[in-house]
Amino acid sequence: MDQIESLLNRPKAYYNIDGVGELAGGFMCLGVALLMWLQAHAPKESVWHGMPAFVIYAGMMCLILHYGPRAIKQHITYPRTGFVQYRASDARWRPMIIGAVAGAATTVGLAIGLRRHWNLTTPASLIGLLFAASYAYNFARTVRWKWAVVWVLALGSVAIGVLPEDLVGALANRSWQGALMLTMILFGTVLLVSGGISFGLYLRHTQAPVREAQ
Amino acid sequence: MNRQIQTIAELDRVIHEPGRLMVVALLFAVDRSDFLYLQHETGMNKGTLSSHLSRLEEAGYVEVSKTYRGKVPQTLLRLTAAGRKAFEQYRRKLKGAL
Repeated sequence: MDQIESLLNRPKAYYNIDGVGELAGGFMCLGVALLMWLQAHAPKESVWHGMPAFVIYAGMMCLILHYGPRAIKQHITYPRTGFVQYRASDARWRPMIIGAVAGAATTVGLAIGLRRHWNLTTPASLIGLLFAASYAYNFARTVRWKWAVVWVLALGSVAIGVLPEDLVGALANRSWQGALMLTMILFGTVLLVSGGISFGLYLRHTQAPVREAQ
Repeated sequence: MNRQIQTIAELDRVIHEPGRLMVVALLFAVDRSDFLYLQHETGMNKGTLSSHLSRLEEAGYVEVSKTYRGKVPQTLLRLTAAGRKAFEQYRRKLKGAL
């Protein structure tokens, strides 16, 4: 029975067989961190403080995140190890619902924390720990060496949480922004490295397609 | 006859064969996939996988469609509604029997 359950979970794990899920996640985190850094350090009259620049930047990121993984899948993954189309409920609704709930909870928590003038570097590192747990559930369960990545993410998040508030605050206008930026940089870099290793291993262990009927 | 043994005897034999069980379980978790994916995940050779798919198609559990990805022919496979129902029943019965 356990073997059947494990078979049922294999298609989900297949999405990141080439590391594309992590590469996309890493790109997104670094993109957000760069935007936060630009908004914190650009002069007040800079375009980075205006809505049009934000909309264009976010739009470009969405386009790259949508079409980039798709291009890699179509030109590299599907010809090598096969095509999978996920069920609409798995591909659309579940991530949207989880994302909406997580986003709403974070926003409410942030709003309450700012209003009460809490030190928000610790919650930023808690968000990092939650991400690390989510990474462990989604990626590390199927590939053993990725538990090392989970440890790096978890310890890095804890380290950010214990950094002095003024040191973190020097990165941005407010300490919570600095902590969030550091968390994004940590996650973006680690996910890009981990995704890159997965992609390299995938290319090494799979063969380029032979031109014949499948 | 013992109820558990009777349940085992009632298991769907089309699905119960290990090779076909792998195929059906993999297809159950997705909307559709191609032949290459099933071959990669099950580790079966083309002939064996084809024969299992033919048996599942005969039973009305799998829908096979041929298309092209660029210039390369592609065989797409999808579990039918009957296939999904049969697999759900199979899981329920197996769980009850164990």
